[in-house]
Amino acid sequence: MKTTRIAGAIGALCLAGVLMPGLAMAQYPNREITMIVPFGAGGSTDIIGRIAAQALSKRLGVPVVVDNRGGAGGTVGTQAAAGAKPDGYTITVATTSTHVVGPLTVKTKYDPVKDFTHIGMIAETPYVMVINPQLKATNVQEVIDLARKDPGKLNYGSAGQGSTTHLAGLMFLNATKTDMEHIPYDSNAKATAALMGNEVQVLFGSMPAVLAQIQANSIKALAVGTTTRSPKLKDTPTLQEAGVKDYRASLWLGLSAPAGTPPEVVKKLADALGESIADPAVGELLEKNGADPTKMSPQEFSALIASEIDVYGAIVKGMKK
Amino acid sequence: MDIFTNMAIGFDVALSPSALLYCLLGVTLGTFIGVLPGIGPLAAIGVLLPITFHVPPTEAIIMLAGIYYGSMYGGSTVAILLNLPGTAASAIVALDGHAMAKQGRAGPALVMTTLSSFFGGCVAIIIVSAFAPPLAGFALQFQSPEYFSLMLMGLLAAAVLVQGSFLKGIGMVLLGLLIGTVGQESISGVPRYTFGSLHLYEGLSFVVVVIGLFGLAEVINNLSLGAKRERFTSQVPWRELIPSRKDMRDSFMPTVRGTGIGSFLGVLPGAGPAISSFVAYAVEKRVAADPSRFGKGAIEGVTAPESANNAAAQTAFIPTLTLGIPGDAVMALMLGALMIHGLVPGPEIVQKNPEFFWGLIASFWIGNVLLLILNLPFIGLWIKLLSIPYRILFPAILSFIAIGIFSLHRDPFDIYLVIGAGIAGFLFIKLRCEAAPLLLGLILSPMVEVNLRRSMLLSRGDPTIFLTRPISLVFLLLIVAMLAAVIVASIRSRGAGGQKSEASQEDNAQNVP
Repeated sequence: MKTTRIAGAIGALCLAGVLMPGLAMAQYPNREITMIVPFGAGGSTDIIGRIAAQALSKRLGVPVVVDNRGGAGGTVGTQAAAGAKPDGYTITVATTSTHVVGPLTVKTKYDPVKDFTHIGMIAETPYVMVINPQLKATNVQEVIDLARKDPGKLNYGSAGQGSTTHLAGLMFLNATKTDMEHIPYDSNAKATAALMGNEVQVLFGSMPAVLAQIQANSIKALAVGTTTRSPKLKDTPTLQEAGVKDYRASLWLGLSAPAGTPPEVVKKLADALGESIADPAVGELLEKNGADPTKMSPQEFSALIASEIDVYGAIVKGMKK
Repeated sequence: MDIFTNMAIGFDVALSPSALLYCLLGVTLGTFIGVLPGIGPLAAIGVLLPITFHVPPTEAIIMLAGIYYGSMYGGSTVAILLNLPGTAASAIVALDGHAMAKQGRAGPALVMTTLSSFFGGCVAIIIVSAFAPPLAGFALQFQSPEYFSLMLMGLLAAAVLVQGSFLKGIGMVLLGLLIGTVGQESISGVPRYTFGSLHLYEGLSFVVVVIGLFGLAEVINNLSLGAKRERFTSQVPWRELIPSRKDMRDSFMPTVRGTGIGSFLGVLPGAGPAISSFVAYAVEKRVAADPSRFGKGAIEGVTAPESANNAAAQTAFIPTLTLGIPGDAVMALMLGALMIHGLVPGPEIVQKNPEFFWGLIASFWIGNVLLLILNLPFIGLWIKLLSIPYRILFPAILSFIAIGIFSLHRDPFDIYLVIGAGIAGFLFIKLRCEAAPLLLGLILSPMVEVNLRRSMLLSRGDPTIFLTRPISLVFLLLIVAMLAAVIVASIRSRGAGGQKSEASQEDNAQNVP
């Protein structure tokens, strides 16, 4: 009795041993997936990347390990991702910084379109047009009027020359044909502090950096840069609603893989990502961190990146003049 | 709510068994991380951050904070014993601390370091718990012009740091300022001295430069000395571990001054613990009756910067928690950890999450007591490090340096950089050029430049902005007063002839620009 059972067990094990590698070859994924986060741990990209990694891991059944590769505005880590083996075991968090603004302002060795297979969007964090409460304006139009009355008198802050927040500001100046002085800081947090101290009067800040201060009434939100209102700030209009035509600026975060990743692998990742974003628990976590979950197919996400490169490219070109 | 009810809420949270456990875990880890060269709190917190997702938020932050200030305690230990500082703050402590160790007084140096750390930490916690909201408002008064004037004062501190030749010292400050310009310049976005390499885009990593200039250079230098290498006493009797009454007396006022300086600078986002220890050291050297003792094992040169850096490590939490503005990279990580747990730092955190806020503050206290208990008995053990034969010790140091440096960005480029900095540091030793002023130049360089240029943008090119803003004006007047004091002192000592030691006179005379 006993011997047969043991023999049976050994037989089953052997069979499994023979079958397993074959199965594994066919079945993606069969080992851990590395998700490159091209920014330091603890930043907003890292937080959102980790939420996505956890959700993906649950659906794909393998660990998704975050690898923080910060440096040079996210371009160092993205460069590493571009050169990785296109087998689906290395994916990267792609953002407005790494795939649009970075390649336009830094000499990157990668091409944000040709060197990647884009998987889909995770979330979008709107830029919020915030002002110091001492500024005599209650809506966007009044800020425009103030800026027109005294061209170049108001200051607007940003997280650095050529940063996404700077370009969001430039986009506003271009669209409204106004003039404000640009004062660059080295992070969103420092720019927010400068706004609170009235060193700058206007800021196009990223939602996670300014939300707490808006809720505490130490700064005033006038509009959001996305085309739809943010659930976090339901009473705040979009800039388009406030009369700034065609304005659309947000920081989006998505997932991309190196170019040449097999289509069936991309499909699997995109499906898992889509399911993750649709999960209310994941959505709540993202929203808690100031990001609005946004679903996009690989095709839609690729198209978005290509069109953003055109839009921002024009602004960067105007800036260098 | 008064401070006592607040602290009662806090201790209620911080004394719960789980909070105590995480606090102990944090400070213990912090001590060891501080002791290992290269692995700073930044790398450690970065690695541990994901683990804290599964821990309740208050406990998670208590542990991470424990790592942060615990590493401040541990950092001085190897700096003093082996001249292996891992941070800017401990590089300053190493100046006199290592000199004390060479004189066989490593025991008193380490005990006084622990005591002054404890003092600085505790006083700063009182400041945090009593004045956090108003201090946060004060931090907002500090804008670009104020920072520029403060940094300018820091540069003056660099001149005071110089021990030997004044000309060489100034040369080293300038070199530091130049090295600090490497990387993308944040006002115009232009990359400088990057040679098209993305590795240099964010500038030279400060930790890497410190470890190369001090630690690696020390190893190379020791090996080049061969048999002549200085040997420490291999057996230190327990009696000699205890500081003398004179040590205590000499340390008291410097510790108080250092604590004051550290508490103040810690509140300002960006200034932080690093420059606080430089400023505290410079102040002590200025007020000392005989400045020539500095660099040769003056106890004030150890206790003042040490208390300053621990005080700053505590008060640095004020802008982070109450404004949501992180002062440095470690604080930014801490902020990230808070956000992950859905705690939004900002003006409302004290009202909305009193258990968290006061619990954390109370845990600082408990952590500092734990550190004291943890560190004092360890001193005897650490000192045993000195009796390890160098042929075993130096490969161990080199591997720790390599592992630590690589863990920062996982970039082999940093290893080449540390080797380069080590060779440069060895040349500096041979040329009798000091590395400390270079470090201060390197820290201040980007801050001085960016705040100057930002101020000029704000004033649309009018330099009087520095004189019309009151806080900035105060700093500028202080600079003038300090320069005047130096000039007057040197004229007087020249006129009076040799009253004091030859060396101090020379020092003073050379300090005149």
